[in-house]
Amino acid sequence: MKPLILMLLLLLPAAGQVTYEDILKGPTDEWLTYNGDYQAQRHSPLTHITPDNVSSLVPKWNYYFRGARRLETTPIVHDGTMYVTNTNEVHALDARTGRQLWGYFAENVKRSRANRGVAILGDRIYLVTSDCHLVALHRVTGALIWDAEFADTNEGYHSSIAPMALKNQIMVGVGGGGSGQRGFVAALDAGTGEERWRTWTVPEEGEPGYETWGGFPSKWGGAPTWTTGSFDPDLNLLYWPTGNPWPDFYGGRRKGDNLYSESVLALDADTGEMNWYFQFTPHDVWDWDANETPVLVDMDFKGKKRKVMLQANRNGFFYVLDRVTGEYLLGEPFVEKLNWADGLDEKGRPNVLPDTTPTPAGVRVCPAVRGASNWMSPTYVAETGLIYVITLEQCDIYYSSAKKPVPDSGFRGTGGAQIPAEPGELYLRAIDPETAEIRWEYPLPGPAIAWPGTVSTAGGLIFAGDDDGNLIALDVKTGEDLWHFNMGHRIFASPMTWAIDGEQYVTIANETDVVTFGLFKPE
Amino acid sequence: MFMHRFGFFFLVAVLITTAQGQSPRGQSNPLVRDPAAAATGRPLFVEKCSPCHGPNGEGGHGPGLIGWREVRRASDRQLFDSIRNGVPGTDMSGFPMPDDDTWRLVAFVRSLNAPAAAQPVPGDIQAGSDIFWGSGGCSNCHSIRGQGGALGPDLTDIATLRRADQLKEAILKPNEGVPDGFRLVEVTRADGTKVKGVAKFENNYTLRVLDRDGRLHFFEKKKLANVSSTESSLMPSNYAERLSDDDMSNLLAFLSRQSLRKWEQE
Repeated sequence: MKPLILMLLLLLPAAGQVTYEDILKGPTDEWLTYNGDYQAQRHSPLTHITPDNVSSLVPKWNYYFRGARRLETTPIVHDGTMYVTNTNEVHALDARTGRQLWGYFAENVKRSRANRGVAILGDRIYLVTSDCHLVALHRVTGALIWDAEFADTNEGYHSSIAPMALKNQIMVGVGGGGSGQRGFVAALDAGTGEERWRTWTVPEEGEPGYETWGGFPSKWGGAPTWTTGSFDPDLNLLYWPTGNPWPDFYGGRRKGDNLYSESVLALDADTGEMNWYFQFTPHDVWDWDANETPVLVDMDFKGKKRKVMLQANRNGFFYVLDRVTGEYLLGEPFVEKLNWADGLDEKGRPNVLPDTTPTPAGVRVCPAVRGASNWMSPTYVAETGLIYVITLEQCDIYYSSAKKPVPDSGFRGTGGAQIPAEPGELYLRAIDPETAEIRWEYPLPGPAIAWPGTVSTAGGLIFAGDDDGNLIALDVKTGEDLWHFNMGHRIFASPMTWAIDGEQYVTIANETDVVTFGLFKPE
Repeated sequence: MFMHRFGFFFLVAVLITTAQGQSPRGQSNPLVRDPAAAATGRPLFVEKCSPCHGPNGEGGHGPGLIGWREVRRASDRQLFDSIRNGVPGTDMSGFPMPDDDTWRLVAFVRSLNAPAAAQPVPGDIQAGSDIFWGSGGCSNCHSIRGQGGALGPDLTDIATLRRADQLKEAILKPNEGVPDGFRLVEVTRADGTKVKGVAKFENNYTLRVLDRDGRLHFFEKKKLANVSSTESSLMPSNYAERLSDDDMSNLLAFLSRQSLRKWEQE
């Protein structure tokens, strides 16, 4: 045995490394970033599975995550390996069989939250722990390389984000809009974890925008950055959305628009400098985090070729912005249940209606706190020119309290309650971005508690989760229901698709398992 | 079989408590971090817990409580609740007693799992480092923070995962349990070509092997001519002779400092 051992005593070389250029290509047989592409279109060029053969889709393997209760991961697939996460865990699976190659469990972590996935760059896998450490692991062995803390969980920060590998830096964001902290987007060095730049989402005294807080301390302002942004490599701009100002539901101590909460920030990818911002919900008191995915599309918009950013916002309006300048182009409701504003002005600012501010006695407002949409991934298909969005029709009773806020104490200024007689309804809606017209919709019946996302394919399909534990396949043009499979658990994650050995697969996580589907092949 | 079921239900109970929204380290008690309290917890443990969990928590009718990830990661409060209320679906009933006694038991169970990083381990750390990276040959197979070999388990965070006595045992008796994913195999394809490496997993149908070039090979077993493997560890079993007592202390001191996060020594 000895000669064999000696032959093996060599260090791992650089075979199979992932480059920035690889990620720029978008989805291929592989899926290298959270949304598949930097533009967050989540559209795969794969064509093996089509409307004609999707009825032959069968489960190929199932991976049970011991201890999981709500997986929210989007897998990364590279070099025959799939990387999936639970809170503070990464599991590397053999993509063909679903068998585990290695598992990493972060120890001594101070919080427990959902996790949405890893980033990959070079030979490293990057995980964000729930207490805001970025951990670098070797993609083949799972060996730990370093751990870099980018925010102090004792100050109210946490994170569930799938980080983004961009050039030679790893982009991270933070949660904590409910606990009173100061949001930021940061770029960490992919080699060392050292911070390259940080852009705060709440201005300090003396900075532009501070006057929009009525003197409220910026260190508690919130505006968290808990979802993965998108990136335009030609403009070198990152589009990073922000969440609610703190305290949520009560705005009496933070009089003003509360910049840059409930906004999207266009940031220089190399410096973090803000090129422009757009605020969707000024002075938010409904907890409508704008952390929905910003989808970058080049399209003809009202007779002009435009680089736009699309977002179906939690506040119930569907927005189109010029992503070069930040100019507001369109904003229309994409839900029927919307009663807080009767439209947007020419700059995109909502005309807020009276009696919609939360009160101690409660007031009925639509959309619900969970929003008309949320972080569940939409998909855009250039061929149809439509964006496909999971949508929730629901109202809540919103309550507020003027109690003095206490940071990092679980304090809320209070919240929303479901109306028993008005259960929510989930839909998958195909929206024309030029008009916000809903071309078709597919109801997802159930108790409206699932949180599924979408992926589309050049084969002509949309895959999504429904509210009954099914992975479903619809015709991308018509919304016709073509296939479904009940996975036996609810879905709080987005599907993705990939290929190996000439075969296309679709993978999605349910609450406890990662399940992979492929076309039936007789032995 | 019963043990497995028992462990499963314990796990479920821990997770249900987590699902109710507590942070893993939330709701503790000063006694849990008090070594004296852990010591006073021992007689309580012997009286109440050892009939099932063994006199030193090594396991018996009930599961062992040492080195188990779920016990290690459970919050103090979760351990407290499991002792106070029992674990539904298992033979473990609740043990009502004064709160302070329950916290002393939690402190004792924690002390059973105190990792090397949390303990003072005597020795010359630099001399231990020299053994690891040089004369001991450890880094030929093991890595720390991205440096070293890939054939053995990564040791970057080993002081968080193991007690010092477990580290010593692993160095002296490497053949008492080769970890999954590190067994040496030689695969012979139908055409006679061979691939040597460590099996990351193997079942009746498929096999993935990490070769010396860092490539992961995928094999369908029915297409192979042969798979040969060894149950013994790649790790030399002669460290008891190769290392002096001082060397061993120094190596353990070095390894006991290998953790990603800072620990306060207890």
